[in-house]
Amino acid sequence: MMRTSTQEATPVQPPTPPIKNRESLLSAYRTEIAIAIAMVILALAVGSQVPQALSWGNFSNITHAGAPLIIMSLGVLLVVITGGIDLSVGSVFSLTGMVTAQAMAVGFGGVTASLFGLGVGLVFGSINGFLVTVAGLAPFVVTLITFAVAGSLAFIVTNGRSMPIPDPDYWLLNAGSIVPGVPNYILFCIALLIGIEIFLKKVVAGRWFYAVGSSAAAAYLLGIPVKRIKFFAYVASSLLASFSGLLTISYILNAESTAGASLMLQAIAAVVIGGASLLGGTGTAVGAVLGALMITVIQNGVNLIGINSFWQGSVTGLAILIAVLIDRFGKARRGAG
Amino acid sequence: MSGTTNMVVSVRGLTKAYGATSVLKGVDFSVARGEIHALLGGNGAGKSTMIRIITGSASKGDGEVAFFGPDGAQRSEAEGRARVAVVHQELALLPHLTVAENITLPHLRTGFATVNRKAAARKAFEALAMIDAEFAARSLHRLVENLSLHEGQMVEIARALSSGAELLLLDEPTANLTSGETVRLFAVLRRLANDAGLSVVFVSHRMKEIRQIANVCTIIRDGRTVVDRMGLSELSDGAIIEKMGQLAISNSAPGPDASHKRVHGEPLSIREAGTDIELSPGTILGVAGAPAGPSSLISALVGAAEAKRWTVSRAGWPNSFRTPRKAAAAGAGFVTGDRAHKGILHSLPIIDNVLASRRVVRGTAVISGAESRECVDLLHALSVKAASIWDLPATLSGGTQQKLLLARWLGLPSSLLVLEEPTRGVDIRTKKEIYQLIRQMASTGTIIVWWSTENVELLEVCDQIVAFDTEGNTAGVIERGEMSEDRLAELTGMAT
Repeated sequence: MMRTSTQEATPVQPPTPPIKNRESLLSAYRTEIAIAIAMVILALAVGSQVPQALSWGNFSNITHAGAPLIIMSLGVLLVVITGGIDLSVGSVFSLTGMVTAQAMAVGFGGVTASLFGLGVGLVFGSINGFLVTVAGLAPFVVTLITFAVAGSLAFIVTNGRSMPIPDPDYWLLNAGSIVPGVPNYILFCIALLIGIEIFLKKVVAGRWFYAVGSSAAAAYLLGIPVKRIKFFAYVASSLLASFSGLLTISYILNAESTAGASLMLQAIAAVVIGGASLLGGTGTAVGAVLGALMITVIQNGVNLIGINSFWQGSVTGLAILIAVLIDRFGKARRGAG
Repeated sequence: MSGTTNMVVSVRGLTKAYGATSVLKGVDFSVARGEIHALLGGNGAGKSTMIRIITGSASKGDGEVAFFGPDGAQRSEAEGRARVAVVHQELALLPHLTVAENITLPHLRTGFATVNRKAAARKAFEALAMIDAEFAARSLHRLVENLSLHEGQMVEIARALSSGAELLLLDEPTANLTSGETVRLFAVLRRLANDAGLSVVFVSHRMKEIRQIANVCTIIRDGRTVVDRMGLSELSDGAIIEKMGQLAISNSAPGPDASHKRVHGEPLSIREAGTDIELSPGTILGVAGAPAGPSSLISALVGAAEAKRWTVSRAGWPNSFRTPRKAAAAGAGFVTGDRAHKGILHSLPIIDNVLASRRVVRGTAVISGAESRECVDLLHALSVKAASIWDLPATLSGGTQQKLLLARWLGLPSSLLVLEEPTRGVDIRTKKEIYQLIRQMASTGTIIVWWSTENVELLEVCDQIVAFDTEGNTAGVIERGEMSEDRLAELTGMAT
């Protein structure tokens, strides 16, 4: 029973294969490519039922309607990568719209009023960041508080009434063209997408977002400024939510206290569909944008096919489930599960 | 199935691949009833993967895993696995539950019935008392989060013992135990093997310990079995090291090099009441003893926690570092001993893990193409085998992950480097490589403060050793000339 193997230990070491130092785009974005493919299949499926779904006009509708969600999702992504969560974005979105509209109503110009609006984001982002980092409270609790407060303030500004935008030129923020031929809402989405993706991939501070989310303890020992990074993430998230609010009131030239109510969950869903883990440490801007587009395509499809819109939530839920399952099994195959 | 009559588990021709990386290429391994079996192999040889397949936490490729009952009849996989308990290298306890709950919870089979707390506590006490009755009496109702690393490990072993397992897999169980605890553990394992017919598989890189406890060994190398069930008395240490494929480097063990003493720079002094240690640049200070004492010193050096006990001073440095960031900026590096939780960034690729400290120290703002070449060079310098620097660290073995942590400070100009158990869980070849790296970094003028629970390696490499007793008090400072295994064992109460 005691025996050595017939295969003797060979003294010659097998040559070590070279270590790859380049990452192919295909492997870097495999989750994102899967979502993009799923989205195309979904769009084609809708198109097979309702041909005009595949028209240029409908494509333009989808991007126009999806732009605010895309921008908000990019902000939420930054927080989620650091291992946190931001539940306040929907309320900040609504409050920004109300404050900006009210400011214009009392005579401020569009630019000044917009700065007031962005101020809402700056203030609430700073409060979130302060309570999470300095006071050390759980992100879920902190942003639940600011969600409630900003949400109620959005009613208080006009006593619950919706507020028309008095200056019709304000429409240009959304639909005008800073770059000729490209409507602003698309320009903003693309600029933010590219800017944030490069920041996360190529800027050291961006890599630290992932490090903080992967293990805050390890990041702290490395000398990474964990608190500063978390603070910045919450401020960025609220500012982008505010900006997204400005874009929306500019689009419909009207501000409503409840405008952002459904957006918070959609933004978190978009980030998750895009491959980010709510445990932190993963996620890309490309994924978050695709996730937001996916949700918009679903809503658009449900409308076009003529299904009762109450089904939207169920379909979105199914999309999240599929996305998470794809991600889960993709990881298991790579030995990281 | 001839030759497997009194076996508990028998593995034949097992293979496993993660993506394109083939980890197991045909492993044979079998454990007889009532034996203590040493499983040997270098880092990345495939030991952990095989253990994971046996316990069912990883799927197998090809090959066969068969479990057998005491009567020699083959069992179903589910039944066989239920009789296997593992003590992991990294603690797997629930921090918010008490010691007693941690030991008994996995084994409660009460369904929705109420938990009989008294009976559960008694069962937990019995298991823990087999290792240390005094510890059991004192700690049964403490929360696990308040235990030290080595206390936690004792709880894990007790949990495995209490599960009524027939096969116990121990992955470096003694890494954090004092000599007294190790002796007690070995006595318990021997008693259980002889009297109750328990089979024990013991993974360790400490040759002396392996010979003390095991009678049979299996050696795995590069995913293949090279020695299958051989008596340890038939193999010399040299033969074992050769079979593991680690001969080339393990003989080259030069003593401390006196030439690095001439490096210029500011000395570092470490003081507490009754102790005064002055370290000139290039000195390697060993820190010996159970965790309590060394961790208080290390916290003071790297700013990981507030430490009032120690006064650290060096020209140009503040009285203490308030955060690790300040320490890193001043050139004081730190390699944590808690690799899994405070070291490796698990969701970031290898490149970010390796270059993390460089980016902090250099204040790099934007990532350039030169960085990926630097990362590859560092991996080559540490002879790390990896498919791509963009893979996640989880694709590497535990010992290789340890090298990634060392790579963070390798070649960075630093005046102080604090190492917490950098050789825990790494194989003999890698250990020797790490000693070499430590000497190399010291020769450039870096002061090394190195905590290890393996006294032998401190004696081999250090210029000076500060020893702590098991209570955490300073037991003495030993200079190079006065060092001996006996003296260090006497001061620390640890003898590995």
